[in-house]
Amino acid sequence: MIRFEDVNKYYGPFLALADINAQVARGEVVVVCGPSGSGKSTLIRTVNRLEEIQSGAVRFDGQNVHAPMRAAALNRLRSQIGFVFQSFNLFPHLSALENVVLSPWRVKAVGRAEARARAMALLERVGLAERAHAYPAQLSGGQQQRVAIARALAMEPPAMLFDEPTSALDPEMVGEVLAVMRSLAKDGMTMMCVTHEMGFARDVADRVWFMDAGRILETATPTAFFGAPQHPRAQRFLSDLRSH
Amino acid sequence: MSLFSNALEIVRDNWLLLLVGQYPNGPLGGIAATLILSVLGIGLAFPLSVLVALARLSHRAWLRLPALALVYAVRGVPLLMIIFWVYFMFPLLLGVSVPGYATMLCTLVLYEGAFLSEVVRAGIEALPRGQMDAARALGHGYGGAMRFVILPQALYNMLPSILSQFVSTIKDTTLGYVINVPELTFAANQINNRLLTKPFEVFLILALTYYAVCFSLTRLAGWLESSIAARRAGPAPVQLVAAQ
Repeated sequence: MIRFEDVNKYYGPFLALADINAQVARGEVVVVCGPSGSGKSTLIRTVNRLEEIQSGAVRFDGQNVHAPMRAAALNRLRSQIGFVFQSFNLFPHLSALENVVLSPWRVKAVGRAEARARAMALLERVGLAERAHAYPAQLSGGQQQRVAIARALAMEPPAMLFDEPTSALDPEMVGEVLAVMRSLAKDGMTMMCVTHEMGFARDVADRVWFMDAGRILETATPTAFFGAPQHPRAQRFLSDLRSH
Repeated sequence: MSLFSNALEIVRDNWLLLLVGQYPNGPLGGIAATLILSVLGIGLAFPLSVLVALARLSHRAWLRLPALALVYAVRGVPLLMIIFWVYFMFPLLLGVSVPGYATMLCTLVLYEGAFLSEVVRAGIEALPRGQMDAARALGHGYGGAMRFVILPQALYNMLPSILSQFVSTIKDTTLGYVINVPELTFAANQINNRLLTKPFEVFLILALTYYAVCFSLTRLAGWLESSIAARRAGPAPVQLVAAQ
């Protein structure tokens, strides 16, 4: 469903992504982990072309996202890829409900009433129906991130990308966001998650990609990755995680 | 004391002239003309400023460069020069005589529009990048993201600055005097020419009138600013739950 083919990306002389070849199959949950600055976020942001690449291709459902295309075609592609940000990025001038309604209504031209009904159902699903009319500033971090997930789901994307969705949260709010992500995975959603939540990776992921210095060094099932990591860098990463 | 009683007497004898000029026996003038010019000026300058700001932020050089040139030219030239320029050039270019009101209005729109465009641009650039990212990730085009996500926030945040630009506009209308626009300063000067012996009193009245109008608007801007700051911070979630 998502396929990276020989992807290279530079920031000036700095190699941010090197020879990435990997794919996420339909219905699969992939967790991308690795130390800070290893290129995880850059990688996930190339999938909907929030980051450009210098060579290679990123295919979504067979279509190269980075091919030259009209703005409208790129917008349509992006609308099919749900994206959840580390910093939530809810629209602060809109209520939770309006945040979820806006894009189906304005981008997909779903009728406003229908978009509202579906948004309400999605807020219900993430456990925030009673906060539908609150503004983002009135919500806790965990609640904001759940609204952000509902907002992405409102476009009915066949795949969801999560870029460190719990890194900006207080510890006691991490669980509520992960619970929503777990239930999505259980429903068969194709997911690519950059996260440091190793418990989530162990329980939910079908495969783990370990990245360092712009490369994917290891891909394995969670059992194999956490039980017997092959790459020395991955071994050090995991032992550093366990030592505190 | 005699200064104030003189001033009061002048106001008593000339309040209608100060208020509306020679209307209905002549053109509308006085405070009414000043306010109408200012409101129309800022009202028309505002949409212009949004367009200029968007052009300046565009990656298309043929949009960006003319906008840049306009802003730099207007910022580098005294308002009085622009008034003369419009006053003498427009009739030459158009081949018809342009009334003083229209000349002044055009000048104000151009001048305040250029300044306001910098305010709008700053407001757009001050928003976190994640707002645009989130809108684009949901499939909004650049225009849709601007219209539904960026501009509503930027313009709301900029309301105090827009209001203080309005105060500047009111003060700038005094320059209409040089091309015989019968606004408030013009009316005061008419009175002074008639009385001849009381310039200090007359111009004290003029100064106080401008001060009263501009000071109250400045206070309004200050109040807006603090109420926007309060709204942006949002009530704490805990309090809100308790209030329900």
